[in-house]
Amino acid sequence: MRIAEYRDRLMLMLKIKKNDLQVLFDHCLAGYPNEACGMLGGKNGMVEKVYCMTNAKPGPDYYEMDAEEQFRVMKSIRESGLEMIGLFHSHPHGQAYPSKVDVNQAYWPGTELPNYPDAVYVIATLMDRAKPVARGFSIEEGKVTEVPVVVAES
Amino acid sequence: MAIKVRIPTPLQKLTNGNAEVECSAKNVSELLDAIEKDYPGMKDRLSEDGRVRRFINIYVNEEDIRFMEKEATVLKDGDTISIVPAIAGGEF
Repeated sequence: MRIAEYRDRLMLMLKIKKNDLQVLFDHCLAGYPNEACGMLGGKNGMVEKVYCMTNAKPGPDYYEMDAEEQFRVMKSIRESGLEMIGLFHSHPHGQAYPSKVDVNQAYWPGTELPNYPDAVYVIATLMDRAKPVARGFSIEEGKVTEVPVVVAES
Repeated sequence: MAIKVRIPTPLQKLTNGNAEVECSAKNVSELLDAIEKDYPGMKDRLSEDGRVRRFINIYVNEEDIRFMEKEATVLKDGDTISIVPAIAGGEF
């Protein structure tokens, strides 16, 4: 790995305000016992807006974004001058870690080419609904790397 | 006829790094063939047996082709096609 890449990797984290993280958790809790999902708009690793979205195929172990909503939200993020820096979903009954399906779905069908290489995949576990926990991950060609989710006071 | 096609990140290797290409086609099915001509390999990435692969969303001017005529959706000059991978996942 080149020095520049190594340095970038060390600095990679996702910052989110306490209030925004609560919005994320509330949306996930509202979806329980099914998975919930959404997008995180922001810049330079800092989340500026949480987009709570619909699980179009709701189940306790599956989520799929509604295609038209996905387009609208991605467009809205762009038009706000932000970037889609994160994608979140919940694991109502499992660990806050990308599952086989999560990793598979992060790639273009039949490949290991990441669809959204610049997005941090945030997973919130609701195994203890009184204390949801969120962890972030970068999913790149064959590799899952944790990206710290740092909560800022607000 | 000029149709803009927005190419998603993982396919940009096939379009020489271009995030947007131009094409001419009367419908989505023809578009797949037209893109393949200019950028070999694209058609197989996008479709199987003439049908757009699952988990690939194709929009014509922001409308999902699943709510139009799918591969038979008619295109006109000035249309913008966006190819956007679906976002989904599960617990296991």
